Amino acid sequence: MTMIAGIGFTAPWLLLGLLALPVLWLLLRAIPPAPKRQPFPAVTLLLGLKDDESLSDRTPWWLLLLRLLAVAAAIIGLAGPVLNPATEEAGGSGPLLIVMDASWGGAAGWEQASAQAEVQLEEAGRAGRPVAVLRLSAPEALQFRAASDWQRQLAGLAPLPWQPGPEQLEQALAAITGAEGGFDSLWFSDGLEYPGREGLIEALSRRGGIEVFEQPAPVLGLLPASYTGGAIELTALRSHAGPAQEVAVVAQGKDPGGTERSLASLSLRFADGARAASAELSLPAELRARLSRFEIRGEASAGAVALTDDSLRRREVALVSSESADEGLALLSPLHYLRQALAPSAELLEGALRDLLPANPDVIVLADVARLAPAQEEAVIEWVENGGLLLRFAGPRLAASDTARSGEEPLMPVRLRIGGRSIGGAMSWGEPKTLAPFAEGSPFYGLEVPQEVAISSQVVAQPDPQLADRVIAELADGTPLVTRKTLGQGQVVLFHVTANAEWSSLPLSGLFVSMLERLAVSSSAAAPKAEDLEGTTWTPVEVLDGFGRLEAAETLPGVKGPDLVAAPAGPELRPGVYDGGRRMLARNVLRPEDELLAARWPASVEVSGYDAPQEMPLGGALLTGALMLLALDVLGTLLVSGLLGRARTAALAAALGLAALVPAQEARAQEGPPQQQAQADFRAAELASELVLAHVLTGDAEVDRIAEAGLRGLSDTLFFRTSVEPANPAGVDLEQDELAFFPLLYWPVTRDQPLPSSEAYGKLNTYLRAGGMILFDTRDADLASAGATSPAARRLQQIALPLDIPPLEVVPEDHVLTRAFYLLQDFPGRHARGPVWVEAAPPDAEQAEGIPFRNLNDGVTPVVIGGNDWAAAWAVDENGRPLLPVGRGYAGERQRELAFRFGVNLVMHVLTGNYKSDQVHVPALLDRLGQ
Amino acid sequence: MTRPAASDAATGLRHRAEAEASALPPLLVQARHLAGSVLMGEHGRRRAGTGDDFWQYRPAQAGDSRRMIDHRRSAMGDVQYVREREWHIAQTVHLWVDTGASMRFASSPKLPQKVDQARLLGLAAAVLMVQGGERVGLTGGGLPPRRGNVQILRLAEALSADEAEDYAPPGHRALIPHARALFISDFLGPFEPVEQALSKAAARGVRGVLLQVLDPAEEAFPFTGRTLFQSIAGGVTHETLKASALQERYLDRLAERRDALERLCRAAGWRFGQHHTGDPAQAALMWLYHALERTAP
Repeated sequence: MTMIAGIGFTAPWLLLGLLALPVLWLLLRAIPPAPKRQPFPAVTLLLGLKDDESLSDRTPWWLLLLRLLAVAAAIIGLAGPVLNPATEEAGGSGPLLIVMDASWGGAAGWEQASAQAEVQLEEAGRAGRPVAVLRLSAPEALQFRAASDWQRQLAGLAPLPWQPGPEQLEQALAAITGAEGGFDSLWFSDGLEYPGREGLIEALSRRGGIEVFEQPAPVLGLLPASYTGGAIELTALRSHAGPAQEVAVVAQGKDPGGTERSLASLSLRFADGARAASAELSLPAELRARLSRFEIRGEASAGAVALTDDSLRRREVALVSSESADEGLALLSPLHYLRQALAPSAELLEGALRDLLPANPDVIVLADVARLAPAQEEAVIEWVENGGLLLRFAGPRLAASDTARSGEEPLMPVRLRIGGRSIGGAMSWGEPKTLAPFAEGSPFYGLEVPQEVAISSQVVAQPDPQLADRVIAELADGTPLVTRKTLGQGQVVLFHVTANAEWSSLPLSGLFVSMLERLAVSSSAAAPKAEDLEGTTWTPVEVLDGFGRLEAAETLPGVKGPDLVAAPAGPELRPGVYDGGRRMLARNVLRPEDELLAARWPASVEVSGYDAPQEMPLGGALLTGALMLLALDVLGTLLVSGLLGRARTAALAAALGLAALVPAQEARAQEGPPQQQAQADFRAAELASELVLAHVLTGDAEVDRIAEAGLRGLSDTLFFRTSVEPANPAGVDLEQDELAFFPLLYWPVTRDQPLPSSEAYGKLNTYLRAGGMILFDTRDADLASAGATSPAARRLQQIALPLDIPPLEVVPEDHVLTRAFYLLQDFPGRHARGPVWVEAAPPDAEQAEGIPFRNLNDGVTPVVIGGNDWAAAWAVDENGRPLLPVGRGYAGERQRELAFRFGVNLVMHVLTGNYKSDQVHVPALLDRLGQ
Repeated sequence: MTRPAASDAATGLRHRAEAEASALPPLLVQARHLAGSVLMGEHGRRRAGTGDDFWQYRPAQAGDSRRMIDHRRSAMGDVQYVREREWHIAQTVHLWVDTGASMRFASSPKLPQKVDQARLLGLAAAVLMVQGGERVGLTGGGLPPRRGNVQILRLAEALSADEAEDYAPPGHRALIPHARALFISDFLGPFEPVEQALSKAAARGVRGVLLQVLDPAEEAFPFTGRTLFQSIAGGVTHETLKASALQERYLDRLAERRDALERLCRAAGWRFGQHHTGDPAQAALMWLYHALERTAP
């Protein structure tokens, strides 16, 4: 590689092409651009005129420069310029062995390491040295091959999630000793110390020089999370005891939707000179149960991941009470408060104890159970001894029984005195007792004791030598309230009060929940010991790769139980999640007692970091530049030859075409529910912002038109005469539109109107119940003619059948409709004097003395039914002129006026309810009525 | 089976006719509008004769028939007067508008094509003439001179036709002796036909006006660089490597052509005018009107 001004060229002789540029300049200069065609009628006058200059019109200099630049860029680009080319000062000769730790410790810096290896391979390739690569975590026999061969394989080499163990080192030694001849070694170290390295160094140095690459940053690792005192304790390790450092640990888990996300994070601070840092993470039980792993943020290595297992899963709590299936009094049930307290964080099992025991719950709660059947008691004792937590609550039955009277029973932490005590009751002296602050050493230590918790009854423990040790909560007067004893690996806890609010207000307080949580947490499945797993076999479910990513274990073989806990990770024991049948165990790279040590190298070995500058080939960029310059040249040529205008129109057309295409596609893409949704929202916003009268679309275009025109006329009338200022009326499709925006629905009933669907009926009923009003108009004026109902009336009956319509009556004389705005006695539309039906007044409505109106019901009649064809009387055209004739002559106009008045009254009635029923206006009304 | 074909042909003809006719009204309207802007004055013969306008009262002489006596004037005195009217005479005007391809040129989309301007001017002049009572027709016998508004329509229709040839020769046949003529063209084509037409016209005592309509680009020659000049129909081309170098010589030739035309006109007793499509048509029409009037014998 030739270096020119810090840039190396792989094919420097190509640069000679640059010499041809001046020639090109002359050539290009001589060749004029293509002529532009110019239509010109006076060309006859030009005929015969010669160009007097022998020199032709020249290519403009800037176009020439552009072309020359393009050619120069192409020439230089093809000459293969490389920025920061690797220099060959470290050149050696003879075979080269690249040794890699390839353990999880180097995973975080793997990119730099492989980049460095790439550089070294490149160099060796240029020097023609054969190369062998030896991964210590998975050693193979040495194969000295061409460097380019290894370069291709380099990407396939990944760090493995374990450290080289004795077995691997042995193989590596064998490989090194088995190779022939001398070779130099390059050791890519992960920076971690492991036993047996000295032998390797010695073996390598016997063959040739050793050079070591090692990242200077300390290797970080995360120990498995442990649970102490109700919090998750996390410990991070680092290989160098450097200055103070802070690392962030992220808790990953599944959210309720099942998506993996980070649920919490905390930062661990390494003190100056410390190699370990730990912190506690307090998480709600619900979240804790979802955790799947902790990882150090930004450290993509298997060692920086701490998988969690079953020990954090939701505990199974079996609730057993003495009560038989007693329905009803839920709040008195001893288990009610327990259920409420535990349901968010635990799996609750309920039933008979004999059914629950085989399920092997983590906790069994016995609420006021005095005595168990002997066989069951045996079973429970065994269960507790195996690590179960038995939580007992006192109660009337326990108090009345002789359990644990004479001697201590295995399933009772203390002996009990007969009867218990009752304090602060109606017949007793003294106040209900409160809780004393929790003593240090109690699992409840640190919990706030709320003042409102009062204990009025309890069972009392017999004084015993061990009593003091077993009390974990006591009353202000020193009476034990909660006692505990261990039994085998498990424990038995007794609350001396009931689990319901009968004896104390403890179950009502948040403290109860916290106490249960503390107890439940402290009873969590402890990490198993090697001997506990003797004889078991665990199959991997998911295993970690070197970068800390989980992958399916597929066909990996099972692992012996003790190994899973005690043995260091290796090819046979991959860190990951293992299934043991009844529970899952997480095996992390680091065991709790592991520590990280920085690799130590003999003084003779040269150690350097990864600092090789990256080679950067510039050829691609230059060739791209040349292409772009040529594109510019096309534009320039077009400009010079006067074709740019045409080209511009073509380009414009193309651009326009594209632009037209894009919105079309977008429009197509938008043709879907979102757009409809947006339209519906827009319409809803429009309708809700103003008062809109609406009519039901019947499917008969003429009827719909008249209805629309009628409502427009009514809206205009309202606008002119009242303070109601409606917007343009709207047609409503019952199947699709939302009805809530309309105070009044005008529903012209036609003979062949389709019946609404059941959803539409649901909407209509909701609408009616929410205060809407429907004005049914059969438009035939003979609804009331007994026995001679019209087709429209029959249709109305069918339509109205599923509607939630109250009993109806013909509008009584004192109905609010008759005086909501105008005083009316009949309600003509196009037809006069057809009866109008409204909701019947309640039967108990009474007429008060001296008042012409009954004291009627509140609210608005949900339906008004008539057949007077009001819309036709209201209907106006765009200019406000009546659309249809009403009556005859002046009488007809009067009838139309009354129809409008009815409409105004109706809308007023809808909008103001029974306002006019108020007695306030009675005097004025009386005056006007002349009474 | 022939019926649909026949009706198709008829429909096609009608379509074409309507398409043609649709082009007429704007031209007519424009022409009339333009003509309306010229104040009409009848060109009386300044002597007594048949006409509508009053010329003079003269004493009745022997030989005057009695009905010629103007009684209103005669009643004012004892002498009997005859009312004489000015002698009006109708002239014949021949119109030739070059509709060759070379006229269909406009150097910029903002400018009208030369042929449009020529048609407009020709028709407007015809409108003026017809309004003045003259008979207007086309040269070449295609449309003999007649008077009346219908003739305007016929003229408009005849002028709307386009010719495919690049440079159309002026029509000089069927010229009525001692008539007047109006030739509108760019006169960029071969010179001989123009010369021939004018000499023939002069031989018949026809006097008239040549109006040269040019595009501003033809007057300025604003071209540079390597250029291939083409006539509109593509028949004539000329390529140059440096158009800017040709400008001077082109302008010389253009002036030469103009001089030649002017000389020709002078010799034939015609008048020569120039109009550029960039200038308003009204000025050109005014000039035309006066020029035509002055060429009157």
